[in-house]
Amino acid sequence: MGTTELLQFALAGLKNGSIYALVALGFTLVYAATGVINFAQGEFYMLGGMLSVWAYADLGLPLPLAALVGVAATALVGIVFELTAIRQRKDGDPLALIIITVGGSMLLSSLARHLFGPNERALPLFSGGGNVSVAGAVLEVQTIWIVGITAVSVAGLWYLYNRTALGRAMRACAVNRDAARIVGIDTRLMVTVSFVLAATLGALAGLAVTPLTQTAFDVGPSVGIKGFAAAILGGLGNPIAAVVGGLVLGMLESLSIAFISSTYKDAIALIVLLGVLFVRPQGLLGRSGREKV
Amino acid sequence: MAAKKRIVASLLLPVVLMSVVSLAGCGTGASDDPGNDGASTAEPYRIGAVLSLSGTLAGLGEPEKNTIEMEVERINAAGGVNGRPIEVLIEDDATDAETAVAVTTRLIENDGVIAIIGATGTGGTMAIRQEVVRAGIPNVSVAGGSVITADFHPLVFQTPWSNMIVVPFTLNYLEERGITRVAVIADSGGFGKDGVDVIRAAAEGSAVEIVAEESFNPGDTDMTGQLTKIRASGAEAVLLWNAGREAATVAKNMDALGLEIPLIGSHGNARTEFIEGAGSAAEDFVFAAGKVLVPEAYGVDTEEYRVATDFIERYTDRFGVAPDTFAGHAFDALHIIVEAMKRLPEGFTPADLRDEIENTTGFVGIGGVFNYSADDHNGLGQDDLVMYRVSGGTWVLEE
Repeated sequence: MGTTELLQFALAGLKNGSIYALVALGFTLVYAATGVINFAQGEFYMLGGMLSVWAYADLGLPLPLAALVGVAATALVGIVFELTAIRQRKDGDPLALIIITVGGSMLLSSLARHLFGPNERALPLFSGGGNVSVAGAVLEVQTIWIVGITAVSVAGLWYLYNRTALGRAMRACAVNRDAARIVGIDTRLMVTVSFVLAATLGALAGLAVTPLTQTAFDVGPSVGIKGFAAAILGGLGNPIAAVVGGLVLGMLESLSIAFISSTYKDAIALIVLLGVLFVRPQGLLGRSGREKV
Repeated sequence: MAAKKRIVASLLLPVVLMSVVSLAGCGTGASDDPGNDGASTAEPYRIGAVLSLSGTLAGLGEPEKNTIEMEVERINAAGGVNGRPIEVLIEDDATDAETAVAVTTRLIENDGVIAIIGATGTGGTMAIRQEVVRAGIPNVSVAGGSVITADFHPLVFQTPWSNMIVVPFTLNYLEERGITRVAVIADSGGFGKDGVDVIRAAAEGSAVEIVAEESFNPGDTDMTGQLTKIRASGAEAVLLWNAGREAATVAKNMDALGLEIPLIGSHGNARTEFIEGAGSAAEDFVFAAGKVLVPEAYGVDTEEYRVATDFIERYTDRFGVAPDTFAGHAFDALHIIVEAMKRLPEGFTPADLRDEIENTTGFVGIGGVFNYSADDHNGLGQDDLVMYRVSGGTWVLEE
């Protein structure tokens, strides 16, 4: 296989990996704040694309404004979901919360099906298509958007976590919720903030991908599973690990297509995931759970 | 250690729960009672329809439901079946085989239907066969998988062109154009997998050689990897077998990679959503489908043309959009059953109805002219197909 082709596979892996990374970040943020897996994360991805299409095609807004409306509206859904469903469970029982997110996922996709119809819907490319040649391999301009949005999101998240009081409070919450509450941090608020961020990141991923793939009410679960796998692979609870997990998963899939078979790419990626978890149960970059005890 | 245990529990539980929820999620289909406004007060003949009104195939189930409701009203207004009205009970299978079986059982046991239309998908159709066979009532499927009639059962019929007809027709087209080295890319779901099996078998006896075979999963967002391999294979054309939105992604990825060989699809791509999704990448996309997309293909002075244009006009008037091929499959399934009922004397049994459906000859439907027989429950032929090319954002007849 020539280097040009290899580079082409790497670019495909980077593109898919960036999408998985954004979704994985959503899983990991909510996990850090609440200790549960949010199974509605894939639906935020769906809503990001779907609500942008709605704002663009049905409301007739210009694309940048429609994208903003789509992401903001999804963030709003994240707030409403947290306030009306998650927060009502006062004892924070993880099992109950997980069931609530499964139900939320079904509710959101059913609502989208009834409001926006069963068919797939399209969004134009952000900068009108076109390709860039990278050493003979082709890079779609939309892929630059996808990777760029991921990079900016990660940088923004890093800034939030490391340079702001809110981020420090969130980290304190993730390390020890009771201790955080004792020093005066509103842990309830931190949970809400984590849902808003998770919804926003999911929506950005869905928005960036829709011009290439179209969107529909049922796109959430399959991407959700990939993002979940990426978050586990990297190590739950750690944002950098989620990004690494996403990129590794994307590359694994792409290399499976290149060297083995496209039929088994998902299976191969999952076998590697299981192999990694066997050796490092806490994920590639995850801290050992012992620290918390 | 306690924390570790909690992590493991919180990871495993959702997986277990998800499977429980999906297993339990059956039997939520809404029952419908479309137009039963015929003048007659006699007890109606009841037919069941198992359609995907939610889930992945909802985009197919909706036009099917629309068509059935519209046609039932028309049939009843015209006197029903020999003076008795018909009633079609529509159930949603949520594109889920288990649910399809559950609602079929309900239609048979609680509602006493004498025939079943559906399911929308090949998977659902194969799943409900056990119930149909147990009850001994005829089933006319609107799903396109060739396995439905290839895995023959006397009670099961289908109305779409199966891959067994479309694949040889498409390979013929390739041969005529001197294209012999072909790469196949298909989804790993029912329709794509079925198509690949048929393509492999049909290519054996033709000049077409399959030089690459790639697949993708429903919901995948990028196929540049597969297409890069196809480019390296030296194929002269890409044959795409898929009925979902991934088709638009394949067309776009090919365009982006600058892979300038023809992309040939199937009747699964005969949807305007594909053209909207792929945009300029859809230009010159070629696929085989029935003649309903451009009714002139039937020949303007034919009975087929009259039936199709009449249906298109009424459907467009009522629902504001032109019917797609899936609406046509539902039209054919309903009318084949109703015509068979009209030919039978009062008091017929489901077994009589099955025999009479099998006797259907020369029925002019939307999919073509149906001729069922004791060993052909698909009833259509390559004559009912035509090649289309996407040009200027719409489909036109090829050649």
